[in-house]
Amino acid sequence: MSQRSQLLKGILEGCILAIIQQEPAYGYELSMKLQKFGLTEVSEGSIYPILLRLQKEKLIIGEMRKSESGPNRKYYHLTDKGEEALQSFIEHWISIKHPVENILERVKRR
Amino acid sequence: MNAKDIIELNNELREQLNKENLAAYEDMLTYIRLSSNKSEQQTEEVLLELLEHLLEAQKSGKTAKDIFGEDLKQYCDELINEIPGEKMTKNMRFWSYIALQYLAVITLTFGLLSFLLHSFFQLGESSLRFPLGTGVIAILLDLGLFYLLVRFILAWMKNSSFKEKRPKKWVEFLQLWLIMTCAIALFYFIPKLLPHFGTTITVHNLVIAAIGVILYLIAKILNKRYRFTS
Repeated sequence: MSQRSQLLKGILEGCILAIIQQEPAYGYELSMKLQKFGLTEVSEGSIYPILLRLQKEKLIIGEMRKSESGPNRKYYHLTDKGEEALQSFIEHWISIKHPVENILERVKRR
Repeated sequence: MNAKDIIELNNELREQLNKENLAAYEDMLTYIRLSSNKSEQQTEEVLLELLEHLLEAQKSGKTAKDIFGEDLKQYCDELINEIPGEKMTKNMRFWSYIALQYLAVITLTFGLLSFLLHSFFQLGESSLRFPLGTGVIAILLDLGLFYLLVRFILAWMKNSSFKEKRPKKWVEFLQLWLIMTCAIALFYFIPKLLPHFGTTITVHNLVIAAIGVILYLIAKILNKRYRFTS
C-alpha cells in the first residue's frame, strides 16, 4: 500500500467516527460530507472498506432503516467503544498535529 | 431486512444503472458474492450501499471507476478482506441443505429409474443389494467429491469476472468438459473400487425412491425455515 493511503486511512477512520458522532449517517451521505469538508483527495468509495472494519471492531453499528425519500438505507451510529476510540483519536491527533506542522514548515518545498 | 430481501431490492434497483456502470457493477457483484465463507447478510448490505452510491453518482455523470478507483478488482479485494466470515452454524446448515438436496435427487432418480426399468423391461433387479459399510463410505466420498466440484465451479466463475478479454468460447467449453468428464468418471468408479465390508442389505427400488422423496421434503422444509434460496 502506498504511503499516502496508509496515512489517509487512519485519519479517515477518525473523521468518519467524528461525523457519525454528530448524527447518524448512511454511506453516500457520509462521503458527501467528507467531500464538503474538503477531503476531495479521497475517492468516494474508500469509505466502505473502512465502514466494514469499524463495524467489525464494534466501533459503529449499521442498521437498515427506511429513509424519508423511500429506499432502505443503512444508517451508522457510534457505540460506546466508538466514542472512546474517537476521543483517543482526537487526543493523538492534537498531540501530533503541531509537532508535524512545525517539522514540515522547515522543509523547503519544491 | 433479511439478506434475501436485500437481494431482491438490489435486483430492482440495478435496472436503473446505465450500460457502462451496470457492466462494472455486475462484475463487482459477482466477484464479491463468490468470495467464499463471508457473511451473506454483511455482503448484501455492502453491495446495496455500493449500488445506491453508484446510482446517486450516476446522476452527475460519474462512472464506477470515478467512485471506486481505477482498479475495481483491487477495491473489491479490499472490501472482501473486511467482510466478516459467515457463522459456522449458518455455514453448516447451508451445506447440509445442499447435501440433502443432492442426495435426494440421486436416490429418487436411481430408485425410480431402476423400478421402471425392472417392471417394464425386466432390466436389472427389483432391489439393490450392497454391503452397508461400503455404501456409507461411498456416499460420504460422493458428497466430498460433489463439494469439491461445487467449490471449483464457484472459483471458476469468480475468476472469470473483471476480464477485459473473455477467453475463446471453445477453449472454456473444452476445459469445463474435461473437468466434468473426470468428475463423472470419479463419481462412477469410486463406489466400484471400494472394498466390500459390513453386512449386506437389500433395499427395494421403491424404498430407495421413497427415501429420495423424504430427503427432498426435509430439504424443502429446511429451505422454508432458513431461506437458503428465496
